[in-house]
This record gives sequence, structure tokens and C-alpha cells, in this order.
Amino acid sequence: MSDIERDLEEELHRVLDPISAMPIPPRRRAGSRTAARTVLGGAGAALTIKLLTGVAVAAAAVTVAGAATTGSINPAVWGQQVSQHVADCKAKLADGQHGIGDCVSDFANQHGQAVASDARHHGAGTGTTNGHGNNPNANDHAKNKNRGRSTQGKGASSQQDPTDPPIHATVTASPQP
Amino acid sequence: MASIEEPPIEAKPPPESYEPGSEADFERLYRNSYRRILGTLITLVRDRATAEDCAQETYERAFRHWKEWRPEASAEAWLHRIAINVAISDRRHQSLRQAGELVRRLGRPAPGPDPSAVAERSDLFRAIRKLPAKQAAALVLRHYHGYSNREIAAALGVPEQTVASRLAAARQHLQAVLGRR
Repeated sequence: MSDIERDLEEELHRVLDPISAMPIPPRRRAGSRTAARTVLGGAGAALTIKLLTGVAVAAAAVTVAGAATTGSINPAVWGQQVSQHVADCKAKLADGQHGIGDCVSDFANQHGQAVASDARHHGAGTGTTNGHGNNPNANDHAKNKNRGRSTQGKGASSQQDPTDPPIHATVTASPQP
Repeated sequence: MASIEEPPIEAKPPPESYEPGSEADFERLYRNSYRRILGTLITLVRDRATAEDCAQETYERAFRHWKEWRPEASAEAWLHRIAINVAISDRRHQSLRQAGELVRRLGRPAPGPDPSAVAERSDLFRAIRKLPAKQAAALVLRHYHGYSNREIAAALGVPEQTVASRLAAARQHLQAVLGRR
């Protein structure tokens, strides 16, 4: 017998013999801890981790969407504000001037920046995206303001309802001469 | 040398007769073999709590197939085979089990002094636990329980030569790790 074998046997007995002298616990019956094992062990643990991760991701998504949708943008309020502001802009043009695009765009641009800032403040990390996705009017206004100025499309936009995205998109894609 | 040849304390007992499917006999088998199965498992898994868990799992699995056991085979060798499979499975799921163990321990009071803590401080034990489970099992069955290579081969369901190879590889690894001859 080699040294390693002798050491091995001595060490095994030194460690395991005291354990062998300990009392024998009652035998566990099948199914007595099935539920705990399902949750905590083996494939059950993997499934549990996946479920918890899914719930966490879903909760985060709901939080972000909620912050962007209900916390920053209220369509009803926004519509009323736009209507009011369009009326104000028209009133300012009563002396014979034409086109309220700049006037409305300024308002929409301010609103868009406020929404984006609010979404970032709520921890979305995609505030710009939320601003674009959930408030197309505001962002389209901001874009169209710049584009309209560069392409002289102000006249066309002044004839459109600033709250109607498809019309703005059309104006942006092919500005009127 | 004579003392070395003597079977150690708790070495495999003379074979007892059991009736397959008898719950009373299975309970007797449990009482007769639990400590040795636990001793094997302690060398294969990372701590005593896990070894106890694996031991209970071993007997649960064995009981489910108790009617199918044939008295021609050694009941304890059969249990060892199941226990080693349980330990291998435990090693595979060790990282997941750690999370569950933490949750279970949160509800327990602090345990008292644990004799198996000696195993945690033993370099040799730590080295054995890092061996592949089948090598470690062969080592324990041979050098603690006193099984012959043939008996180990029968217990694990592998050729005797495979047992010899595993034992040689395990000893070589331990020598390299511990720097012993």
C-alpha cells in the first residue's frame, strides 16, 4: 500500500467516522418536499428563475410604458391645448397675414421637449424614443419646423391641422412648392 | 501490515436478506446502510447538508423501485449506485441548488458545532471533492468502505478494469495536488 493510499484511508476514517456515529434521521417519505424541490431545485429552479426574470422585465416594460403614456402625455389634454393654441395663432393673423405653421410648431416643439425630458426623468432610458413613439404630433412638428423652413413648405403646413400626423408626414415627404 | 488488511469500522456488513417491495425491509435497509451511504455522499458533494439531502433523495428513488430490486444483487451496492447518480446530478445542478439552499437556511436557526466541518478543512477532502464524481466514488468505496474492485464494478455497473482505471487516475490526481507519494 502506497503512502497516498494509507493517507487516504486515515483521512477518510478521521473525517467520516464521527459522522457515522451520529444518529440516523427518519427516512423522508416520497412527496414530502416535492413542492419545495419543484421550486428550489433542478429544472424547477431554472423555470422559477426564468419566470421571475420574465415578470421583472414585464414590470419594467409596464412602468416605462406607463410613464411615457400616462405620466407624460395625455391625449385629451394635449388635443385641447393644440386647439386652443391654433385658435390663438389664427387670432394673431387677423391683420391679413397668412400661415400659422411657425406659431403652432413652436408650441409643439416646446411640448415635445417637455415630454422627452419627462420620460427620461422616469428612468426610461429611451426618452427620445418614447417621445417619438407616443407623441408623434409633437415630434413631427419639431421635425417639420426645421424641414419646412429649409424647403419653404410653410404655406402647405399652414393649411393642415397640426394634430394630424399623416398630413404632416405627407408635407414632410413632398413639400409643396 | 495485518492491521491494514483488517476491514475498517463501518465497513460493508455481511449481506442481509431483504424482500423486494416490503416496506419493513426497506426501513431495515435504510437503518443498516444510511451511515455508509451518507459517508460516500459526503466525499462527493460539497457539504454535509447537501449529502444528507442526497441521501434522502437516494432512498426515495430506491423505494420507488424497491419492488424491482432482485435479491441476487447486493442491496447496499444497488443503493450506492443510486447515490452516486444522485451526487452526479447534484453536481450538475450545484449552482441552482445554492440559491435554494440559501433560501432554506434563511429560515433556520444557526446550527451547532458540526463534526463534518472537519471535512471542510481537510485538504485531502477538498481534493477528493474536485475529482470527477465517479473517480471519487470508486476511491471511497475502495478505501473507506472496503469494497473490492469487483464489488465496486458490480455496484457501479462498469467493467472491473474501468474501476481500476478510475482508482489509478484518482490517486494520481491526488498525488499531484497534495504532493505526496
